[in-house]
Amino acid sequence: MRMQASSLLRAIPALLGLALIASAFVDMPQVNDWMFQISMLIIVSVSWNLMASAGLVSLGHAAFWGVGSYASMIAATRLGLPLVGGVVLAVAVGALLGCVLALATGRLRGIFFAICTLALAEGLRVTTVMLPDQTGGASGLYLPQALQVPRTALFVAGAVAAVICAAASVWLARTSFSYACRAMRNNESAAQMLGLDPLRYRMAILAISAGMVAGAGAISTWYGGYLDPDVAFSMHITIESQIASILGGMYTVAGPIVGAIAIVALSEATRLGLGAHEGASQLAYGVVLVLGILFMPRGLYGLWCDLWAGRIAGAGKADDTATEMAR
Amino acid sequence: MEYLGQCAVDSILLGGLYTLMVIGLSLSFGITRVINFAHGEAIMLGAYGAYWAMTLWNVDPLIAMPVLMLLGGIAGYVLFRILFTRILSAPAANQILLTFGLGLILQNVALTLWSGDQRSANPAYVFSSFQLGDSTVAVGRLIGCAIAVLLVGGLFVWLKHAEAGRASRALAENGEAAVLMGINVNQMYAIAFGISTALGVATGTIMSSLSAVTPFMGFNMLVKSFAIIVLGGLGNVMGSVAGAFLLAFAETAVSYYVPNGDGWAEAVAFAVLFFVLILRPRGIAGQAVME
Repeated sequence: MRMQASSLLRAIPALLGLALIASAFVDMPQVNDWMFQISMLIIVSVSWNLMASAGLVSLGHAAFWGVGSYASMIAATRLGLPLVGGVVLAVAVGALLGCVLALATGRLRGIFFAICTLALAEGLRVTTVMLPDQTGGASGLYLPQALQVPRTALFVAGAVAAVICAAASVWLARTSFSYACRAMRNNESAAQMLGLDPLRYRMAILAISAGMVAGAGAISTWYGGYLDPDVAFSMHITIESQIASILGGMYTVAGPIVGAIAIVALSEATRLGLGAHEGASQLAYGVVLVLGILFMPRGLYGLWCDLWAGRIAGAGKADDTATEMAR
Repeated sequence: MEYLGQCAVDSILLGGLYTLMVIGLSLSFGITRVINFAHGEAIMLGAYGAYWAMTLWNVDPLIAMPVLMLLGGIAGYVLFRILFTRILSAPAANQILLTFGLGLILQNVALTLWSGDQRSANPAYVFSSFQLGDSTVAVGRLIGCAIAVLLVGGLFVWLKHAEAGRASRALAENGEAAVLMGINVNQMYAIAFGISTALGVATGTIMSSLSAVTPFMGFNMLVKSFAIIVLGGLGNVMGSVAGAFLLAFAETAVSYYVPNGDGWAEAVAFAVLFFVLILRPRGIAGQAVME
């Protein structure tokens, strides 16, 4: 009985993933739009969380997003590269930027690393504004008419990308990679002493994280059909990526995904409740960030685990899987 | 090299402002070891304070400054007592995100209350200037720089001689020993944070007549402050002063001598930040700050 229950529990994420992809084929624009937002948010927050798990707090996810968006958009306008090629290119360019960042930041940690990512995003934004011949500058780039794809294709692309990223994070969490990350987060010198090469792990983490976000940026740009430096390197991306992880539960596999859904729900609720006021959703994000850190540092997932563990303990039986994962 | 004199004058005036901008952030980090990503918002609120004092009551920003600094200092003290004491020993990620979230709230409260319109407080003297040799000196910037020098000088005197200043230096140097000497850590932290906020507010009041006042003005200044702090060595107040002038010189030189320099000058801070972190991660002063 228990084994059946747990294998059923394991099948749920896969079913949810399939449902997400299937939802793209349903002809309900509002639902499609929500699912697309959730997909994009899942990708950026899974990526952010992956870096945070290794002690690398990013304030520059906009840099990865923007680089991916620009790579695909420039290739589309100059070379006529279609969606799939654009996304592949974006992932490659993003991963390359991740590697460069890993090499450049060397052993910087905590605040220094965070500041560096922030500077990267802002520096790239200024650079794209200042190089109009290459990037279209402040007046932006439009997706050529001939390359536009049906919206359903974009919804599917977004959902598939989100499922791939989520699956990758589940897979990474089961390998020794996640233990290496945790060791690096707790004490990088000690991790090195144990024979771990931090630089190599950092390069891997940053390449994967940046590649994910760059791909999402490319898909999202195709959805919008327009790109300028402020859209590409928007602080909004950075904020959403971290807030979903925090709300859902940092350092866990399920956290970013739960958080992404909760954040889309929250931003839709504030939009419906408070109208389309420009500051309202950002204000709500700020409040969630502060309250989350103060009162719920382990996020919704942690809260759920605590309740779950409490119930089990009350029945005189300790189920360790849920709590173990939360740590 | 044309305009060399003008370039030098401009960079010195800008350097003074940058020093004031960065010194508060550097002080609070040096003592509490929490880096305040909401420091830019103290600058922003100071600028709005000065703007409204000018617009509503016709009070000159320089006269409003002491009052605003006092208010800012109290707000910083209270905020630290309520929020920051809870995260002093939390992981760096939590500290970064909490202060970042606080900044986000303040930005958007300002946006909601006062809209995103660009504003500016313009007392008459801001537009005047005089000749020094063959360079022009803008009076507004000169006054800003003079006040910055005054405040930074005052801070150094306080750190050197006042009882509380010495206690806060002791905390920065060796927190545990300071506790054993009977220093009330939380009280000192909160005072240092209050002073840091007051300095941010002062920066804002000066900026209110020199640049556009918007809800998001603080963010840009925050990133520049980080560049300066990294340049000078995190937590090293003297290094921050040197870093402020170096960045000011670099930015001014780029805007004078590089084609399209005004736009590229905005990127100097990021380039500097990156190269310093790669080449000399401990900053020019070489203080050990890696954690």
